[in-house]
Amino acid sequence: MTSNLARAIPFILFVTFLCAAPFLFDDGTLHLATEMFVVIVIASMWNFLAGYAGLMSLGHQMYFGAGGYVLFMFANVTGLHPYVGILAAFGFGALAAAVVAPILFRLRDAYFAIASWVVAEAVSIAVQKTDALGGITGVSLVDSSSIDFDRFETQMFLIGGGMVLATLLGFVWLLRSKPGLAFMCVRDNELAAKSIGIDVWPSRFLAYVLSAAGCAAAGAVSLLGGLVVQPGNAFSPDWTVIMTFVVVVGGIGTLEGPILGTIIYYILRQLLTVVFPLSGTWYLVAMGSVAVATMLYSPKGLWPILRDRVGLDWLTVRRSI
Amino acid sequence: MNYVETLINGILLGGLYGILGLGLALVFGVMRVINVAHGEFIVGSAFSALMITSFFPGIDPLIAVIPVAAAAFVVGYLFQTILLNKVVRSGDMLAPMLVTFGVSIVVRNLMLAEFGSNPMALDAGRLAQMSFAVMGIHIGVLPLMTLAISIVLFGLLQYMINRTSFGQTVRATADNPDIVRLMGVDPRRIYAVVMGLAFVMASVAGVLLAMRTSFSASSGVDRILIAFEVVVLGGLGSFWGALIAGVLLGVVQLMSFQFDANSGLLYAHLLFLAFLIVRPNGLLGAK
Repeated sequence: MTSNLARAIPFILFVTFLCAAPFLFDDGTLHLATEMFVVIVIASMWNFLAGYAGLMSLGHQMYFGAGGYVLFMFANVTGLHPYVGILAAFGFGALAAAVVAPILFRLRDAYFAIASWVVAEAVSIAVQKTDALGGITGVSLVDSSSIDFDRFETQMFLIGGGMVLATLLGFVWLLRSKPGLAFMCVRDNELAAKSIGIDVWPSRFLAYVLSAAGCAAAGAVSLLGGLVVQPGNAFSPDWTVIMTFVVVVGGIGTLEGPILGTIIYYILRQLLTVVFPLSGTWYLVAMGSVAVATMLYSPKGLWPILRDRVGLDWLTVRRSI
Repeated sequence: MNYVETLINGILLGGLYGILGLGLALVFGVMRVINVAHGEFIVGSAFSALMITSFFPGIDPLIAVIPVAAAAFVVGYLFQTILLNKVVRSGDMLAPMLVTFGVSIVVRNLMLAEFGSNPMALDAGRLAQMSFAVMGIHIGVLPLMTLAISIVLFGLLQYMINRTSFGQTVRATADNPDIVRLMGVDPRRIYAVVMGLAFVMASVAGVLLAMRTSFSASSGVDRILIAFEVVVLGGLGSFWGALIAGVLLGVVQLMSFQFDANSGLLYAHLLFLAFLIVRPNGLLGAK
């Protein structure tokens, strides 16, 4: 048993790190950390959907990219600060997912997965053909004077860190609550869940909408960091590839898994692109191989192994009697 | 006149799309696995044919299909034996699908590293230009041949599954892998042979498609999505439904180019999604 106080320690350390890092590190390091925060958030969203609600989406890059477009369009049209657009992206992501879900939910399991990919491809092609959204060149900020470039990386770092905190605490709270129990119940045995009176459809719907909204907000942050949104990058299937691999390697269906997976992903990426300067495709080859090996030899991912070895159960939502 | 030609070309292209879906449908029917790496192996066989034709200049790509298909069978057999058989009986559909997803990313990026991202084409030589006219409508010889090959492959597979003793074993394995064990059949070996056959289909379709349209290391995404749409539109487990769905998608794709030139597969995708709303069980699928 780990006490509540011990569980809070990592959070306290993380907040301390968030406060201290801007004084300790240069902009490049902060930018990298922000990228990692974004990956932790999108992987957690995907994990919530796949690991807790049992729905595997291969089309979540669509919400990630849409979040970026909403942020830039919102800032350009309203003239409000781009940071406000992150909230708009979250709202739009939820709305879009609520429209798409009833169509996708007609298919199950593997079919749901690929159909969501089809939707994402269709959206990507449609956006590239829409002149109002900048076609293949994309959208950038018309007026970037609202951005304070001296503090930009620090602010983005803090926003990213705040999103990680909100994501983790939100999921701990949600999964310990009654709807959270319902998610896991549906995932484990749909028939049994129905028989004890759980409405399966709304439960899945909520999970899909929430994970899409989270991905949209994270996409807005990630693409604002690059100051431009282009369809090729924003709607790249690689985002979903990253979410999937990070979750599979870290540990599907655990809240800590995406964090561990993100750390492994960045170690591999920095190793293969910076230490051994290979072209950008090789780290995806490496990450794919690690993911396949994990699925074959340790289908639950690495966190459960680590947890049982070290005996620390940090963000547990398990109930013990 | 233009539209009639487009319609005919769409039908001819659709035969190929049917074959793309057929391998996917076969694997799904027998072992309940969606092989996401199907598209990457389709593109991979196109690259193999390209390498063969550049090693032996002047060789007809249609002849290069034979060694490529043979190699594809071996690769499919090994892919199933080494990787998929370890997860295929674990009960859920997501684990094997995630494995094939991982493999697809590895294969795609290996191809990107080896061949770059530029679009390439298989030179079909004289055959590419040959055509004849019927009542003023020009029909290419190559597209007609690919449709003929598609129909022959469809027929062969149909015959093999329904009329031969091997087909009987495959159907029995699909129905209940535990019971066939009692009859002395190793389901894992059947799975491996089926995966090999699916790869043969993928390779033939991949080479034929590469003779018609350019391809690149990242074309696998388009290929797998079309293959998947063929399977779902055709109705799960229906062979002829897959052929009809392929034709429908091919016609829609080519027709849409008439009014929206660079739309790629957008309208094929939209057709699929529209069907998902009105008829989720496919064209010929059971209610």
